[in-house]
Amino acid sequence: MLLVIAGCDGSGSVVDSNEVVLHAALTAKVRGLDPGDIGDVTSSVVGSQIFECLYQYHYLKRPYELICQLAEDMPEVSEDGLTYTIKIKRGVYFADDRCFEQGRGRELKASDFVFAWKRIANIKYLSKNWWIFDNKIVGLDEFREYTKSCKSAADVDYSYPVEGLTTSDDYTLVIKLKKPWPQITYLLAHLPTAPIAKEAADFYGKDIINHPVGTGPFKLKLWHRGSYIELVKNPNFRGEFYPSEGQADDLAEGYLADASRKLPMVDRILMMVVQEDPPRWFLFMQGKIDVSGIPKDNFNEAIDQRGGLTAQMQKRGITLRIFRDPSTYWLGFNMEDEVLSKNKPLREAISCAVDREKYIELFTNNRGEVAYGFVPPLMRAYDPQIKRITKTVYNPAKARQLVKQAERIYGGRLPKLTLAMPGTDVVIRQRGEFLSRCFKEAGLDVEIDYMDWPTFQNKVKTKSAQMFALGWIADYPDAENFLQLFYSRNASPGPNNFNYSNPEFDSIYEQIAVMPDSDERTRLYRKAERIVVEDCPAVFLMHGVAYVLHHDWLYNYKPHAFGYGLSKYRRIDNTKRLAYKQLLKAVK
Amino acid sequence: MIAYIIRRLLYTIPIVFGVLLLTFVLFNVVGGDVTDQIAGKAASKETREEIRREYGWDKPLFLSLDSQFRHHLQNAVTFDFGRSWSDRELVIDKIRRGAGPSLSLTIPMFLGTLVVSVSLALVVAFLRGTIIDILAVLLCVAGMSIPFLSFILFGQYFLAFKWGLFPVFFSPDLAMVQYLALPVLIGIAAGLGGNLRFYRTVMLDEMRSDYVRTAFAKGLNAGRVLFKHVLKNAMIPIITRVVLAIPFLFLGSLLLERFFGIPGLGYLMIEAIGGRDFQVIGAMTYIGALLFVVFNLITDICYCLVDPRVSLE
Repeated sequence: MLLVIAGCDGSGSVVDSNEVVLHAALTAKVRGLDPGDIGDVTSSVVGSQIFECLYQYHYLKRPYELICQLAEDMPEVSEDGLTYTIKIKRGVYFADDRCFEQGRGRELKASDFVFAWKRIANIKYLSKNWWIFDNKIVGLDEFREYTKSCKSAADVDYSYPVEGLTTSDDYTLVIKLKKPWPQITYLLAHLPTAPIAKEAADFYGKDIINHPVGTGPFKLKLWHRGSYIELVKNPNFRGEFYPSEGQADDLAEGYLADASRKLPMVDRILMMVVQEDPPRWFLFMQGKIDVSGIPKDNFNEAIDQRGGLTAQMQKRGITLRIFRDPSTYWLGFNMEDEVLSKNKPLREAISCAVDREKYIELFTNNRGEVAYGFVPPLMRAYDPQIKRITKTVYNPAKARQLVKQAERIYGGRLPKLTLAMPGTDVVIRQRGEFLSRCFKEAGLDVEIDYMDWPTFQNKVKTKSAQMFALGWIADYPDAENFLQLFYSRNASPGPNNFNYSNPEFDSIYEQIAVMPDSDERTRLYRKAERIVVEDCPAVFLMHGVAYVLHHDWLYNYKPHAFGYGLSKYRRIDNTKRLAYKQLLKAVK
Repeated sequence: MIAYIIRRLLYTIPIVFGVLLLTFVLFNVVGGDVTDQIAGKAASKETREEIRREYGWDKPLFLSLDSQFRHHLQNAVTFDFGRSWSDRELVIDKIRRGAGPSLSLTIPMFLGTLVVSVSLALVVAFLRGTIIDILAVLLCVAGMSIPFLSFILFGQYFLAFKWGLFPVFFSPDLAMVQYLALPVLIGIAAGLGGNLRFYRTVMLDEMRSDYVRTAFAKGLNAGRVLFKHVLKNAMIPIITRVVLAIPFLFLGSLLLERFFGIPGLGYLMIEAIGGRDFQVIGAMTYIGALLFVVFNLITDICYCLVDPRVSLE
């Protein structure tokens, strides 16, 4: 009884009712808030509210378009495409922090970008993000070589010159590339390239992961690791305004109601780490978090048979947003495997055996689209003809025929194949059972091998997995990000986990990797994708479709596939939030 | 007794050494390489080598003054467990931070379960053979058969979400007692079945003793017989169970912590196991082993204190 009295919900709140607070739930813990080493989505979501990059994606316009963030203008690119000159905004200040003199944030300089990028290059710093700059900028690889000779990260002299990273004055950054790199502007909107104040890095040392000092709209107030994060408005924020133009239907959708308003529009963000679905769903239904995905087990409670919101959800003023995400999931083949590499009919048989539609229905509540290639439909280079070109759609009869062909090539009964699955939980096992049944129906003997993520990753990276279930979510809206996964020089431990090698594909990839955006490049992207699809190094399963719910007191929630620092655009109506509490009482 | 304690403390040295050796072999020899996880996507060979150098994984495992095992021992003795490779935070900071929330959850849960189950066990044993006793045994078996997760889901759905008696989840705006109340209640309810059944058996053994019949024959009331005589004589099995359970309190409660957002050590441990964060797992195992050895010794001393027939030699 004492426990019941103690637990009684309702008291204890010390929140100012006039304060505008965004309540969010994080589905994983935040690993660290040092942009140079951020590699996971959750940390990126939090970090992007605190740090800014040179560029950002326009919040409303589609297809995705880059606009300036800390840069004054889009880069001036030399004719040979090798030199980028970028002017940065004046009057941008870091948030106040005790790492600065008298605790007051100083003005951002172009040299802060140089320092941040050299820091990523510093091998002693062990950044996860070196892949961004690897073999791209003149002199940066040599700087990395130099850091090898240093005893520790702290011994590295950051004044060591890098020819390709210089500042002509405090507000001008000059980048010299080894070869044209058209995707660089996308990477300059990627959180790891955010500027870092050297004072912060020196002052906090390795503990900088706990002390983010950025120029963004929010700053860290409190972080109880593994539990919650509280961000508050950064009073030094440079001043940014809500976009005043967007897509044709944005006005009708209400996305332009706050046009030209000063950002951010909330005072505080409270992010709680809620890793389990049931409490997250309960919190959303109680109105204690503003936005939520839909857990698989609650899908029917939220979505009716026509794919819209159920009456219960509508009554609560909940809004549904559906959008494509830039992802593709597959069952990859190790193309260096003795059995699979030499037997294309076998790979095709495996591909024809998998009932993608059923898979999507069973495991995602139809929140996915069947994949025929690897470029997701939201990319501009998506090939609408790919469905007609691929020969390996679900067809169990064809799969059985192909198995016979495969046996002839192998010279007898096929050996047992192994599919590595990245996890051991119930859902992964259910997926494994489903795939096993599909393979059995086609006459294939495939053992499903469940393992934890580190073991799985190790197997894939050491080329010891025969088949593996994996996927890719694009870092930027350029299909090159997917094509690099099939380039032979990127074979494991690089991102080409298939260890796929095709000289024709390689030659096209090398051509397009240095081409600026054009119709010709799109044509080549599609050609390259068709080569891969024809060679069948994977069973392309599905592209993700996200369903997100939010309450009616949250405004300006426009789904965005690439932007993370979007909390600054949100607006909260506290009156509506209070009304929801009344509604809940009435419902009870 | 002092000689016994010193001797037992000396025994802890080979035991702890054994634990350290075993965990080292399990994680560093059998456990596999986690370099790829640290390196991130598209990491080069040189990056992986640097990671191995930074964490000392390039050094010989044994048989060298600079071996990994020598460093493992030194770190354990000095309680310097280094940084977790998953998020670069100091392991000792993680443990310090997690111990408070874990103990705030597990201590009241443990004490609540103990008091309720021992008291009920006395009553049920006294009423043995009656409908209340049969019903209690049935409920105990049912409670033991229901998975812990079901208790959590039931409690969170009905008591917190539907009826609003408790907060669904941790929130920084709530007082600690508010967000801990429901998980503690669930923990007590879930632990009651097994504990009550065990203590009932212990009490029944005592109730059949001659001295109980004598006490009743002398006209003592039931309360006095149960709480003064039976409980005192049943202390040995109770102490064994209670004291040996204390080190596990430190490890927290994985499911409760995860479902109610309590950032304790159970949560930390499972994340570390899932991500193969050997620094964290090694430190937790080592501290757990130390606590276990110490509390084993305390159990023996307690025997001596509650039962004059036991002497430590």
